[in-house]
Amino acid sequence: MKTNILYRSSQTIAQCWLEPGESLTAESGAMMGMSTNVAMTTQSGGIGKAISRMFAGESFFRNTFTAQGGQGEVLLTTPLCGDMVVLECGRTQWLVQNSAYVGSSYGVDVQSQGSLKGLFSGAGLFALATQGQGDCIVGSFGAIEPIHVTGEMVIDTGHLVAWESHLQYKVTKATVGWIDSWLSGEGLVCQFSGQGYVYVQSRSTSEYGAAIGALLPPRQS
Amino acid sequence: MQTEIKYNPDFATIRVTFEQPGEQIVTEAGAMIARDTAVTMTTNMRGGLGSALKRKLLGGESLFQNTFTATAPGQTVWVAPAPEGAIEFIDLQPGQELFLQSGAYLCSTPGVQLDTKFQGAKGFFSGEGLFLLRVHGQGRVWFCSYGALHAVDLGAQYNGYICDTGHMVAFTQGLSYTVNKVGGMKSLFLSGEGLVCTFKGQGRLWMQTRNPGGLASFLHPFRPVKSRQN
Repeated sequence: MKTNILYRSSQTIAQCWLEPGESLTAESGAMMGMSTNVAMTTQSGGIGKAISRMFAGESFFRNTFTAQGGQGEVLLTTPLCGDMVVLECGRTQWLVQNSAYVGSSYGVDVQSQGSLKGLFSGAGLFALATQGQGDCIVGSFGAIEPIHVTGEMVIDTGHLVAWESHLQYKVTKATVGWIDSWLSGEGLVCQFSGQGYVYVQSRSTSEYGAAIGALLPPRQS
Repeated sequence: MQTEIKYNPDFATIRVTFEQPGEQIVTEAGAMIARDTAVTMTTNMRGGLGSALKRKLLGGESLFQNTFTATAPGQTVWVAPAPEGAIEFIDLQPGQELFLQSGAYLCSTPGVQLDTKFQGAKGFFSGEGLFLLRVHGQGRVWFCSYGALHAVDLGAQYNGYICDTGHMVAFTQGLSYTVNKVGGMKSLFLSGEGLVCTFKGQGRLWMQTRNPGGLASFLHPFRPVKSRQN
């Protein structure tokens, strides 16, 4: 799979080219367009896997796109305005914040990874862990900034996109005291340590939703 | 008249610079950002009430359109659409046609005509409305999108193309489409992709990279909840 990222940085899409017979997996609803020789199938990958993905904030089902009888093209998009980045998986594996996953090439397996840390990180109960060799496409809300962690770094949980899986991280409160942490509006943060890259997004979906949603007319309960 | 599209694909805007007195540009109601005070602006229902009503009710465009007329060389008008996104234009020759999704029309030169084209059942099933806006005549037409505009050339580059119904913006004459499901019955309900438009023929198709429905359904859970009154 060859991927071209277009219309950066806020109206970004991923243009993926598949060799004959090659396939890619994408988040439900991510397909914007494709060439007519691409076939789509919907998989839950077993009920257990699907349920754990649902807990991760991912959709229950994922779609597999396969090029048939020639090269194929699939365009992948995200519901909100933002950027995308292609993560190379192989020597380095990644943990991906649940709603950032867009798609991945055939050789990459993306599994939800449950942990108590994940529950508090605001990244949902699970993060998604990559395995295997190939590319994983992730999307952000807002611009993407790669931060090179050398030593230690504190990152707001709502701004996480993906990070190298060998980085150590723990979820802590933003300042020393609980009350200050709450008043600061920062709540919980991820404290990373080690050497490697963390991709962060310049906007947080929950803060955006709270700011704009409050202005909308009420909905029926 | 000189025109320039700026700030594509995020917050596109058109600057029109008139070269001759009497030159005109016709825009959707509400699309003007700024104009020279000496540019005359008239508001009318182009093509009469019947045709304007059809555009409004069937094509999803505004009932009234504004016509800006230059009175001296060098005067400017700035135009922008409502959603954040891109603007593209095409130059139409007599006999050529462009089909626009409702809401995609932004402005045009006076020789360009708009009417509606019935889509039948496929319009109903695509969730995009029963009618498309048909643009013809001679001149330049500008259209807009939510998100960037991605163009695909059918005939040269691709034999056919499949486009999610919420992402279709515009296509030229020579293309035809059918609305169908992608994948099997399971995919129809579970894939999140729903129905797609399959394009065939020779021409150009434009898609928008974002779908306004995506933002709306993201924001919905954040709305305050009104408690049900007993």
